[in-house]
Amino acid sequence: MAQLPLPSSVQPTDVYGGDEVSAIVLDPGYINTRAGFAGEEMPKQVLPSFYGHIASSQRDVFGDQAIYPRADLELRNYMNRDSVVEDWDAATKIWEYALINRLGIPRPTPASKNGLNNKPKPAAEGEDVEMADEADLDETENYEKPMAENPLLMTEAAWNSPKQREKAIEICMENWACPAFWLSKTPVLAAFAAGKATALVVDVGGSNTSVTAIFDGMVLKRSIQRSPVGGVWLSSQIRSLFEASEPKVEVVPTFMVENKKPVEAGQPAEARLKTFDFQISPSFRAFEEERVLTEFKESVVEVWRGPGRYLAPGNEDYAKNLPGRVFEMPDGSNQMWREQRFKVAEGMWDDNAAFPSATEEGKITKAQTVPGLIKASLDSIDVDIRPALLANVVVTGSTSLLPGFTDRLNHELTAMFPSVKVKLHAAGLSSERRFGAWIGGSILGSLGTFHQMWISRKEYEENGPGIVEKRCK
Amino acid sequence: MSQSGATVNADCITAYNDLKLNKKYKYVIYKLSDDNKEIVVDSTSEDGPEYDDFREKLINAKTKSKTGAVGKGPRYAVYDFEYNLASGEGVRNKITFIAWSPDDAGIMAKMVYASSKEALKRSLPGIATEVQANDADDIEYETLVKTVSKGTAA
Repeated sequence: MAQLPLPSSVQPTDVYGGDEVSAIVLDPGYINTRAGFAGEEMPKQVLPSFYGHIASSQRDVFGDQAIYPRADLELRNYMNRDSVVEDWDAATKIWEYALINRLGIPRPTPASKNGLNNKPKPAAEGEDVEMADEADLDETENYEKPMAENPLLMTEAAWNSPKQREKAIEICMENWACPAFWLSKTPVLAAFAAGKATALVVDVGGSNTSVTAIFDGMVLKRSIQRSPVGGVWLSSQIRSLFEASEPKVEVVPTFMVENKKPVEAGQPAEARLKTFDFQISPSFRAFEEERVLTEFKESVVEVWRGPGRYLAPGNEDYAKNLPGRVFEMPDGSNQMWREQRFKVAEGMWDDNAAFPSATEEGKITKAQTVPGLIKASLDSIDVDIRPALLANVVVTGSTSLLPGFTDRLNHELTAMFPSVKVKLHAAGLSSERRFGAWIGGSILGSLGTFHQMWISRKEYEENGPGIVEKRCK
Repeated sequence: MSQSGATVNADCITAYNDLKLNKKYKYVIYKLSDDNKEIVVDSTSEDGPEYDDFREKLINAKTKSKTGAVGKGPRYAVYDFEYNLASGEGVRNKITFIAWSPDDAGIMAKMVYASSKEALKRSLPGIATEVQANDADDIEYETLVKTVSKGTAA
């Protein structure tokens, strides 16, 4: 049925003209957590989802500037590799840090100071004392519930469980006292931001890659496919590549280098390393190494564009003759990367080309490659709507920014479905692919009409957290 | 229900019924009002009866952004396709809903139209097919008739 306008008695008296709603958009991921005000083009705060735990004082520290070599520092992540919150206590703290400390959401003025409660001088003294007590109570309450004036729109993975969703609204309503809440699924937001209500969303993210079919703005649950083949997995492939190189390539993170001298390509580094009089935890070192690997991904790695796989006869020889790229490690050692820079990303497409992995979770199967996921996703849905989905493939996620990614995807899809028209949509602006879901949420949350969609505090109080399952489909 | 909260102006349904029941129009084009609150009628086949007029109107559609800049705009449209069956069994009519969202329109406009589409579509009973179109090629007459007729048109 059509959505009818609210009767005038229920309609809010103040009319929002767009981005004056002061809604907050929070988009948590495994690598980064993104937060900002609805109506803005970019998230104002992008902070690592890893946080520091100081073992000696049992304290948690958040944000980039808290992550530096220091004693007792161990890094943890509140999300798991499936992009689902694992540690809710930490999640609450890190979100509060992002929203209140970093985003600087203004706290509501305490009731005792906003001038509205200034009563004329009391006649009797007894009354005065009572009033002061009341004001104090208000103040503590406001301090603990800092977002009483900001509706919150959160994003979630398409496979998030009902329990997780209820927990999210509980924190928003109970801990922060938000006036309203909404939960949107990331692939739906990405599809909308591409102008499509029906789409096949291929999200190549940091900790996983997922394929989700969206039809008329709804996630088709059966179609959801995901695998670890994302940015972190690609890093592990790069490590395997370094291991297999002759001589082996060491990853020395930036924080360990005191100074360095320039060396010829392929020569051992001449650098003095810093020494620390405390133990550097393996989790911190891994986090810092990941930064170096990310730089390698951004500047060296490229996807073999096709047509045909990299392992097809002749392609490797051709790749060897393409211009290479030099990568310099933080310690100054450097070398030229030629065909390896294609080979290292080929596992995303062809499980036979993946580097052997030392760990069980690094191994992938054919079904976990990008083409495998898409095939499984389309196989699970009605034959009649497949052409509509293939004509509207939305590519998002920061790992999809690897050069050649969309070209290869196009070749793979046309080879898989030769009789159907395949059309990819990938935002040209890199920020729109990195923050696709956040930007979608930002626009949605800023719309003047969206105020009738929010789950209001009153609805939550009447129905309990289960309301989120009913409303946010 | 739409996911943006936008509503449908009653004129949209009147114009649709004129197309469907009274055959007064060949097509109706809808847009979102400037404040993005309501879906309204943009134009009908009254001032341009041919398919090419319809296509031109979509391609040249504009939307004003928040800052007042004018750029390409998405639209919704309903077109009453009529085609002969290849099998020679006569003429068929298919009322088709077209969600027009050019890839080079602004992200805000695309988002608003995509998230409001359901509101309009559900207010128009009797739509036979729906097409999502994103560039000029997608709204070539031949392309559309082929999709709409599922390849049965002559």
